Amino acid sequence: MATERKNDGIDVVPGEAVGVIAAQSIGEPGTQMVLRTFHSAGISSVITTKGLPRIIEIVDARKKPKAPTMEIALEKDIEKKYEKVRSVWRAIEEVKARQLISSFDEDLKNSTLVLHLDRDKLNFYETNGRLIASRLAKQEGVHVELVGPETIKVKFKGKTVEATRRAFINVLGATVIGVKGIMKANIQQEGESFYIATFGSNMEEVMAIEGVDKWNLYSNDIFEVMRVYGIEAARNLIARELATIIDEEGFTVSYRHLALVADAMTYDGTIRSVGRHGVAGRKESVFARAAYEETVKHIVNASVFGERDFLKGVAENILIGKQIGLGTGNVKLAMNKDDLKKVKGVRKKEEAKEKE
Amino acid sequence: MQAEIIDNIRFTTISPDMIKKMSVAKLIVADTYNEEGYPIDGGLVDQRLGVIDPGLKCKTCGGRAKSCPGHFGHLELVRPVIHPEFSKTIYLLLQSTCHSCHRILLTEEQVSDVKAAIKSFFVEDVPDENGTTVDITSLATTIEDSDNRLALFKKLKAVKKCPYCGTVQQKKKFERPTFFYLNNSRMKPDEVHDWLSKISDADVKLLGIDPAATRPEWFVLTTLLVPPVNVRPSITLESGERSEDDLTHKLLDIIRINQRLEQDIDAGAPQIIIDDLWELLQYQVTTYFNNETPGVPVARHRSTRPLKTLAQRLKGKEGRLRYTLSGKRVNFSARTVISVDPTLTINQVGVPLKIAENLTTPFYVTLWNIDEAKRLIQRTEYPMIINVIMKDGTRKRFTETNRDEILKALEPGQILEKQLVDNDLVLFNRQPTLHRISIMAHEAKVLPGKTLRLNVSVAFPYNADFDGDEMNLHVPQSLEAQAEARYLMQPKLQFLSPRDGRPILFAKEDELGGMFFLTRDGAEYSKEDACRMLASVGINELPKQTKDGTYTGKGIFSMILPKDLDFESKTSSGRIAIRKGELIEGVIDEKSMGGGGALIIKIFVDYGPDVATAILAKTSRLALGAAAQGGLTISIRDYYNTEKLDKERKIIADQVEAKAMELVQKYKEKKLDALPGYTRKETLEILVMAQLEEARHLAEQSLQKELTTENNAFLMSKVRARGNIVNMVQMSMFLGQQAVRGRRPSRGYSGRILPYFRKNSSNPEAKGYIKSSFFDGLSPTEFYMHAIGSRDSSMTKSLITAVSGYLQRRLINAMQDFYVDENSSVKDASGALIQTVYGGDGVDPMKERVAKNKMQKTA
Repeated sequence: MATERKNDGIDVVPGEAVGVIAAQSIGEPGTQMVLRTFHSAGISSVITTKGLPRIIEIVDARKKPKAPTMEIALEKDIEKKYEKVRSVWRAIEEVKARQLISSFDEDLKNSTLVLHLDRDKLNFYETNGRLIASRLAKQEGVHVELVGPETIKVKFKGKTVEATRRAFINVLGATVIGVKGIMKANIQQEGESFYIATFGSNMEEVMAIEGVDKWNLYSNDIFEVMRVYGIEAARNLIARELATIIDEEGFTVSYRHLALVADAMTYDGTIRSVGRHGVAGRKESVFARAAYEETVKHIVNASVFGERDFLKGVAENILIGKQIGLGTGNVKLAMNKDDLKKVKGVRKKEEAKEKE
Repeated sequence: MQAEIIDNIRFTTISPDMIKKMSVAKLIVADTYNEEGYPIDGGLVDQRLGVIDPGLKCKTCGGRAKSCPGHFGHLELVRPVIHPEFSKTIYLLLQSTCHSCHRILLTEEQVSDVKAAIKSFFVEDVPDENGTTVDITSLATTIEDSDNRLALFKKLKAVKKCPYCGTVQQKKKFERPTFFYLNNSRMKPDEVHDWLSKISDADVKLLGIDPAATRPEWFVLTTLLVPPVNVRPSITLESGERSEDDLTHKLLDIIRINQRLEQDIDAGAPQIIIDDLWELLQYQVTTYFNNETPGVPVARHRSTRPLKTLAQRLKGKEGRLRYTLSGKRVNFSARTVISVDPTLTINQVGVPLKIAENLTTPFYVTLWNIDEAKRLIQRTEYPMIINVIMKDGTRKRFTETNRDEILKALEPGQILEKQLVDNDLVLFNRQPTLHRISIMAHEAKVLPGKTLRLNVSVAFPYNADFDGDEMNLHVPQSLEAQAEARYLMQPKLQFLSPRDGRPILFAKEDELGGMFFLTRDGAEYSKEDACRMLASVGINELPKQTKDGTYTGKGIFSMILPKDLDFESKTSSGRIAIRKGELIEGVIDEKSMGGGGALIIKIFVDYGPDVATAILAKTSRLALGAAAQGGLTISIRDYYNTEKLDKERKIIADQVEAKAMELVQKYKEKKLDALPGYTRKETLEILVMAQLEEARHLAEQSLQKELTTENNAFLMSKVRARGNIVNMVQMSMFLGQQAVRGRRPSRGYSGRILPYFRKNSSNPEAKGYIKSSFFDGLSPTEFYMHAIGSRDSSMTKSLITAVSGYLQRRLINAMQDFYVDENSSVKDASGALIQTVYGGDGVDPMKERVAKNKMQKTA
């Protein structure tokens, strides 16, 4: 237990302004980072955002990452068997209806769409017309009919021609194999076992696939992780993602700083961005908010609701010129006035005063 | 001197009554000065509002320009106008209340629910100004509360029928900036005022507004508070002409329109004309408060410059809060160009005499040092006393003439301001202050010359170089500040970086090169050389002699190590071993003495900061001596290629080009499959780019194989002193692929970069592949490509500083209040718990590497 560990001079000192130190530790190397989105080209070819843009993406708590990726671990009993891994992979990589057809006939008058599936492609993806038809049938409001082994007829009664058209476009773009949103999946080898790396993220659906080890899923989509695994997982993900990026850039930043950022963003149970709409914009102090951004808005709202600033934070005390309550300012010194009299010179002076 | 300490500050709105109470003058004249240049009574610079001219006296307090604090005035608006900043709040209030009976649109039951809900957010009662406890349901102090309120407003908006009078609610509409509509007919500000004033105090409280502090009808202005003259001083130009402040201009407009409106009303002008003027008055007031209100044309000065009105004064980087209030200006500081001085220690800073004469440290006169004080006052040349601060806080300048007077009045409690002398601690800072080690405390060393000087080794934490960089110097005044500087801020105490616990002081550049010369196997020095080198670090003993009567470099280096040091670790070129302070194996390199060097950490942990800094200083001097002896330099000869290398580079360049061409061919034949998320064209670009970048990699490998440490340029890159292998490749092999935003350059003429190339060519040379080296010189087309790449990288660099600067500002603003509490938990200013134990284990990141080292020691 942390509290029982012997203090060997390496503990943080009470009062230490750890927030500022953490912010500086992340901000300072920022000037030396790249401002580009990289593609690790090659066979695996998974696109990832790296460097400063990715840090900003995380810290801003963007709802969807620019390049969502997943790493999917597999159940222990199959992770070493390539064929079985391959069948899991089949169930993961998304294939849209459009990718499987050789041509289609659209008849807007009768509101029908006939898809001519490409046999070679069906074979390649190890599927058949029936399976595809059943997946298409899940589309809302469409009536799907398997006409021939490679021909599917889709009917949709839209109120307008435009609505029908839109529905057909949706049908063509519908996911027929794999998981929606997983644009690309690759089988990767690590030692003897395999795992699947993907471009695109959809934890909810991937979890449900047989053979997937749901306790060892990794996604870089923070909000998705929060939805699926909860806030603590999201916190860990924020810290871990930051650590990975900074490490890739060749810098070393203590994990404690990154964990503090992650905790600052998640301590109230929701993910809040660093910035005016998040942590900084929701501080208690009116002055701290006004001195940051949107000055007028904060002052006006404070006056409407009669807000009171108790001047506890750093920004407020700089503003009014008071000592800041962090670091050495966190310490108060108490002194017994009577002890002062024991000091030689003071006693003399006091005595002189009394004589007067 | 006991200063008044502000406990808290409350924000409220001002009532018309309060305005009248505060006001010393009702302003009625839309003018400033008369022909004689004298302020007009009842005008905007009425002397009751205070004075700015040196000759005049304030009619309210009798003070002169300097002593009068300024007094508020007011003006009565003939017709009420909406306060633009409150218009959204007004809309919320209108939506929340019934247009017929003006009660809140909540049933009695819901009212008690709201009361209970809001109350739960408060832990303690907040006393108001009079000490009586305010009904806390009406006070908003927390963010959660304001969220709650927003939810309430949303609910009220949806209510269709008033639960009290049963009136079906008509559609309420708000149009920016200040227009309100009920059932699509415009409500004039006086109607709005009427409505708002009819909302009962109890209902106002439910909406989170404290009626004692703010009544809703105050959001509609009937009187306008006019700030004192010294808030908006006029400037007298050289021609003697007066130029008024933007606020005065705006207020003039308001009074002018207000008067015209009054006259027209009195004269019984048609309603349309009155409404027009009323709207104009509204416009003037709106822009007076905020000249950037959305949907309102910007009010401009005659010179078409937009007026800077109240909101603009507060806002943004140059506004009151960030520029004037948060940005502190200080005395006791200096700034000038920096330069190096290798004779200074890491802990020192060289201060020019001229600066030292002007900066002072306080000398607190007490019963015990009064004699010393007298002696100081007697002095007539540097270092002497400059000022005396009397007991009442007044500062007296010390001169030849008043010495006796000052001597006579000398008593404990006074403070003498004494010129800066050697060994005074000063703070030294370089901007941008990206991390805390950008400010450190150094001992002053007063020197001739005009630059601030520092040891090169501390240039790294400041990220300073000497190409014209300037730095700032501050002299801490209070004893507390001096103590903090002494015990927390000295470079030797900042030995480890708070970012990762690595040393911030270490050997770099030529020191590493020199160390290589000194400690490599077979390095031997004559007795003279050994004596000279060791004497330079103050050692007058010699290491063990070899059989040939020479001294090994390893032996010389060992002389500066503690005699009981045992150390072993891996280095970039094998192993390093130190037994009993004797380097017996390996070369001292970046891994041991450079950034993050294991040897430095070891010495720091075992022997403390003083020994560590001393050894570093000695290392530096020894290494530079060895580098000078060995002749560490580069020349063009380092970039001559051997015949073999020259052949290889041609092969690599051609091979890679051929492979890229193959890809292009494949693309043309449509055999290239697209990568996910990319088009085929983009895929080609990515693959070709990767292929061409590979060229550089191959060239590196053949250089690595061919070159030896006989080549100084290669040596320097190898020992990580300066330059890397990529620089060598570019100079002696070829430049390789140029990039714009990570892609091959592509813009210029249509379908090609230069008309020299074929249209739509994807060939490497047409897209920025450079086969020449800097040694060869570039062909004209290659030169152009190189310029494209350079431009892109310089643009990126300037962009990234802006982006990362803002990121840091955001991070700091979000986390600046976090501190470690006594039980190792992390809290913010409001007391919210951020982490239960800092970092999970309560370990200081600065000391985490030290901790590791310590643990290894015990294990």
